[in-house]
Amino acid sequence: MSINDNFPDKNGFFGDYGGKFVPETLMYALDELETTYNKLKSSPEFIDEFYKDLSHFVGRPSPLYLAKRLSDQYGSGNIWLKREDLNHTGAHKINNTVGQILLAKHMGKKRIIAETGAGQHGVATATVAARLGLECHIYMGTEDVKRQSLNVYRIKLLGAHVHPVDSGSATLKDALNEALRDWVTNVEDTYYIIGSVTGPHPYPLIVRDFNSVVGQELITQSQALFNRNPDAIVACVGGGSNAMGAFYPFIEKEDVRLIGVEAGGIGLETGEHAAPLNDGTPGVLHGARSYLMQDEIGQVKDTKSVSAGLDYPGVGPEHSWLKDTGRAEYVAVNDNDALRAFHEVTKLEGIMPALETAHAFGYLPILMKQLGKESNVIVNVSGRGDKDINTVAQIDGIEL
Amino acid sequence: MNRLQTKLKQLKTEEKKALVAYLVAGDPDIDSTLELMHLFVSSGVDIIEIGVPFTDPIAEGPIIQKAHDRSLKHNISLQNIIDLVKDFRQVDTSTPIVLMGYLNTFIAHINLINQSDAIGVDAVLVVDIPGELELSNYGITNPNIDTISLISPTTSDERIKQITKNSSGFIYYVNLRGVTGSSNLDIEEITSNLNKIRTHTNVPTLAGFGIKSYEDAKVLAKYADGVIVGSSIVEMIDAVKDTKDFSKIKEYLEGLSRAIN
Ligand SMILES: Cc1ncc(COP(=O)(O)O)c(C=O)c1O
Repeated sequence: MSINDNFPDKNGFFGDYGGKFVPETLMYALDELETTYNKLKSSPEFIDEFYKDLSHFVGRPSPLYLAKRLSDQYGSGNIWLKREDLNHTGAHKINNTVGQILLAKHMGKKRIIAETGAGQHGVATATVAARLGLECHIYMGTEDVKRQSLNVYRIKLLGAHVHPVDSGSATLKDALNEALRDWVTNVEDTYYIIGSVTGPHPYPLIVRDFNSVVGQELITQSQALFNRNPDAIVACVGGGSNAMGAFYPFIEKEDVRLIGVEAGGIGLETGEHAAPLNDGTPGVLHGARSYLMQDEIGQVKDTKSVSAGLDYPGVGPEHSWLKDTGRAEYVAVNDNDALRAFHEVTKLEGIMPALETAHAFGYLPILMKQLGKESNVIVNVSGRGDKDINTVAQIDGIEL
Repeated sequence: MNRLQTKLKQLKTEEKKALVAYLVAGDPDIDSTLELMHLFVSSGVDIIEIGVPFTDPIAEGPIIQKAHDRSLKHNISLQNIIDLVKDFRQVDTSTPIVLMGYLNTFIAHINLINQSDAIGVDAVLVVDIPGELELSNYGITNPNIDTISLISPTTSDERIKQITKNSSGFIYYVNLRGVTGSSNLDIEEITSNLNKIRTHTNVPTLAGFGIKSYEDAKVLAKYADGVIVGSSIVEMIDAVKDTKDFSKIKEYLEGLSRAIN
């Protein structure tokens, strides 16, 4: 398989997936964004500006850390942790927002909007907006406002406005709907920072590129630490940005298994989950064609996951393409296994992962059985778990 | 020529403007929708636009979103809507019907849409496909169905050229930057854009979004070939969903019809 600079194609398609399925009013904004990005992405000054911010504001590179006790627990090979949880604001989301706010600045946009599920993208957006003194509005489902209240407060402290969204299932998908409606209304002065490799072209491409710094660092770090490519990279998949960022630079290195872990919710067989790549069919939502949880009359289904950041019925189009071509594997880990992994990693490693990330860890019991003693597995620790303390305590029956 | 083209041509010869009225199928229930469609026609509506409900209608404001939700409570599918149109056609064989909705629900029923002209629908307006592309790109190839494309205040001249090339039926000019039910009409901008569109095409251009009052309709009908009214009708339907006394809606539509001609 080979990838080249023309991927996605000029209409934003990865094979049959992607595209620009938006109301006409937004077409001009997408064209403007695409033109700006194509111009800037090869500009040495822009690249320099982006990497400087990643170093000095985000704190990159993030370490690749050997999880000794976790590795011993499984007894088959080394488990390495890519520490995106150590980034400023506590997740991989900041890589993308640091990049996109630069685009907004170059485009002269005065107003920033974003959707958020877990609140990490909301925090990361409010952070970069505060830094540039830009007005910022964050859309968040009322369900998520409840379960991620810590992040809601952080967003407010950063000076951004939080708009709770009560329509539909009142989660991430509905927040995206509302952000798109805001954008249609305020299209001229507003920059929409989408938080994952989802949405209409060119977003899946832009968000992937900005997060690819993770995979680029992994190439160097793997060579330095164990002198070859890893056997597998495991990452959780909501929209798919942390996974895409880690996978992308490895797509042509076919000896590396790329494993995306979706939210299995109550269990794939129950239909109560958020795993479109495992149990969905291709459809069009939020501007792109991709795998989607939908019923036979084309309505989008409600999703279920203990993790707000994975609770989304769609997925980035490039993942759909990676699935169909067989280059990446997609599995699902249910709520209970993710919670078990959350406690395991916290106790064994002194690292408390986000519930999203815990899904990636939740796949290790199966994966490590397939691998030998000499293997090296990388888990992308997409974020830290502080934001999930209330949820975990509640599930464990503890009053805080 | 299908019913839509015939109707628009006839209005043109009579130097009249088209009144297009929107409702969501199945809001509050499918029997009421059928009743309302006939009431629309008897109140002076020229073209009926039926909203196909979708879980994630990103171009709709709160009023129409809620109507979609009410309809989805009854699980209204495109199949139910085609059945509704069939019932309507038992009585009314001439009023054009346009389906307005989102790509995902149309794709899920592609065979149904492509079946034949027997489905009684004259045009399809898919909100979330770019206007310079054709419905056939997405598998909708029924030659009896026109494509209604949207042009908005932010559409570039170059796109207007491409979009007008692919449009049949009529062109839907979106009056404002925003979702349905907004209210910030900029008449100067609208007229200038309508004039620009006219330099590229003879296809009738109708104006929609943000039209509420008789005055709005009257002003816009001076410049467009017709007006499309949605949210204010849907709001009135919601207000009487229990009593099903639709007389106020009749009055309102008759007023609109008088205002534009
Ligand atoms: C820590 C963390 N990991 C993962 C995700 C899922 O997003 P994505 O699949 O785009 O990486 C989120 C989203 O909120 C998150 O906060």
